[in-house]
Amino acid sequence: MDKINVLIIDDEKLARDIVKKYLEKQNDLKLIGECTNGFEGVKSINELKPEIIFLDIQMPKITGFEMLELLDHQPEIIFTTAFDQYAIKAFEVNATDYLLKPFSLERFTEAANKAIEKVRNNKSNDYSTLLSSVNQNLESINRIVVKTNNKIVIIPTEKIKYLEAQDDYVMIHSELGKHLKKQTMKFYEEHLDGNTFFRVHRSFIVNLAEIKQMDLFEKDTYKILMKDGSSIPVSRSGYSKIKELLK
Amino acid sequence: MINPFVKNIKSFSVYLISWIFIFLLHTNILYFVLNLSLTECIIDSFVFNLTFLVLGLSFWYSTKFISFEIYSTVKIITNHFTAAFFTSGIWVFLDYWILSNIFNNNNEYLNFLYDSLVWRFFIGMMYYFIIVALIYIIIYYGNFQEKVLKESELKSLVKEAELKSLKYQINPHFIFNSLNSISALTLTEPDLARKMTIDLSTFLRKTLSSNEIQKSKLIDELNNAKLYLDIEKIRFGDKFIYSEELSDACMTIEVPTMILQPIFENAIKHGVYESLEPVNINFKCEELDEYMKLTITNNYDDEAVPHKGEGIGITNIQSRLRMIYNQDNLLKFSKNNGIFTVTIFIPVQ
Repeated sequence: MDKINVLIIDDEKLARDIVKKYLEKQNDLKLIGECTNGFEGVKSINELKPEIIFLDIQMPKITGFEMLELLDHQPEIIFTTAFDQYAIKAFEVNATDYLLKPFSLERFTEAANKAIEKVRNNKSNDYSTLLSSVNQNLESINRIVVKTNNKIVIIPTEKIKYLEAQDDYVMIHSELGKHLKKQTMKFYEEHLDGNTFFRVHRSFIVNLAEIKQMDLFEKDTYKILMKDGSSIPVSRSGYSKIKELLK
Repeated sequence: MINPFVKNIKSFSVYLISWIFIFLLHTNILYFVLNLSLTECIIDSFVFNLTFLVLGLSFWYSTKFISFEIYSTVKIITNHFTAAFFTSGIWVFLDYWILSNIFNNNNEYLNFLYDSLVWRFFIGMMYYFIIVALIYIIIYYGNFQEKVLKESELKSLVKEAELKSLKYQINPHFIFNSLNSISALTLTEPDLARKMTIDLSTFLRKTLSSNEIQKSKLIDELNNAKLYLDIEKIRFGDKFIYSEELSDACMTIEVPTMILQPIFENAIKHGVYESLEPVNINFKCEELDEYMKLTITNNYDDEAVPHKGEGIGITNIQSRLRMIYNQDNLLKFSKNNGIFTVTIFIPVQ
């Protein structure tokens, strides 16, 4: 049987070391690389296509969760972290297991065996449900990580001008340019700060601070003129609410 | 609460002296105004006032249950009016009986006594109301004092609790990540694992045991903070470099405990955790006229988007300094060109 390829992503050398030591005892697993942050992680996963990853959550630049949003290839995930508060979120992204640092060899082996079984039986996780299931978690976000042409961009929410729905994607218009992200409008409506962002239309969420003015377009129809000159339609229900907010 | 008139010798003496004064007044009025014989005056005054003195002691037990908080004003007035009526009635008839037995042959006095009963009845009512009013004043003054005392106790308790909670901001993830590093080192470098275990224990012991002490020497504070940095150094290796500039005078001054470590922790958290490049952490201590100026700087990744909860440690120290020194603006922080600077001013007495 072929060995299963494994990648470790953790910013602490000693934390990677212990996973490496434990992996030596696993005959079915082969370590193909180590990454020290999420950027390297995205690159290596998309290039090397490991079947299993050991993933830390708190890392420089982007978190383990944000890294997962950027992957083309979805491996089995075993989280290794000292933070126990992300367990629910890990479950929501269909992680195979969640190892709390420090962990024993027995606990590690248990997690590894679970992942091996999943890979061997080809029980591939359905990651299309991944992003929608994260919606359940109503924790608000303060940045969005996107990937365009192998470049990872971190957009702080205060730099966002407006969001526009485009089929299964959302186009993020920000000071950093235009970026496409596979996500739902509903997700952003629920997770962006409600004092700053407002869904004015089925297909648009605007940053209230970026609005220049609201104009009558046709009879009973309004449009928002943004500071950058773009024009955004306003739905009837959105109009009455935004009129209150802009007072 | 116990009867305030017999609470202690002092209060009973005051009660007794008041009655002696009334006794003397009573005697004098009978003697000089109504021209009774001295014996009659003294016995009359003694019997009436001594009986009321005894009766007066019992008013406390009824009054303390008829409080303004529970009953309406109308009910209180009705209750006390009824009580005054019966108390005074009993008093007058009791004393009339006693005195008519003492002076059973003295018709002149007995006529006077009989004629004066109505007046005595009203005087008894008046005594009743005066004593009850006094008891109410004592109750409310006592409650008021108790309230003031409790409030100040509560305030100091709140302050103490606040100080305590502000001090214990040890990040549990730091502990777990350190333990994970130790776990890894046991396999590869047991000696370093042992050193890290000892460092971590020393750091935790100092941090957790300094709870009763509000201030300690800067040198101790710095050593504890450096212990923390040593542990992080094992975790992060070359990812940060620590340097310091200290004048000798700095070391002996006293500072609130646990003010440096959270700032270093902040530098590690927002500098080292978030950056791909090495981070320089610098600590500087200078003497100013009335203050000791402590400056901690670190570079950070300008592009890193702050996580939530940034600066909680720093605002905690800010409020602790304000509480301890009663002075604002003792801690300032700024972000400039990728350098994060925290400045603390410690007033020198």
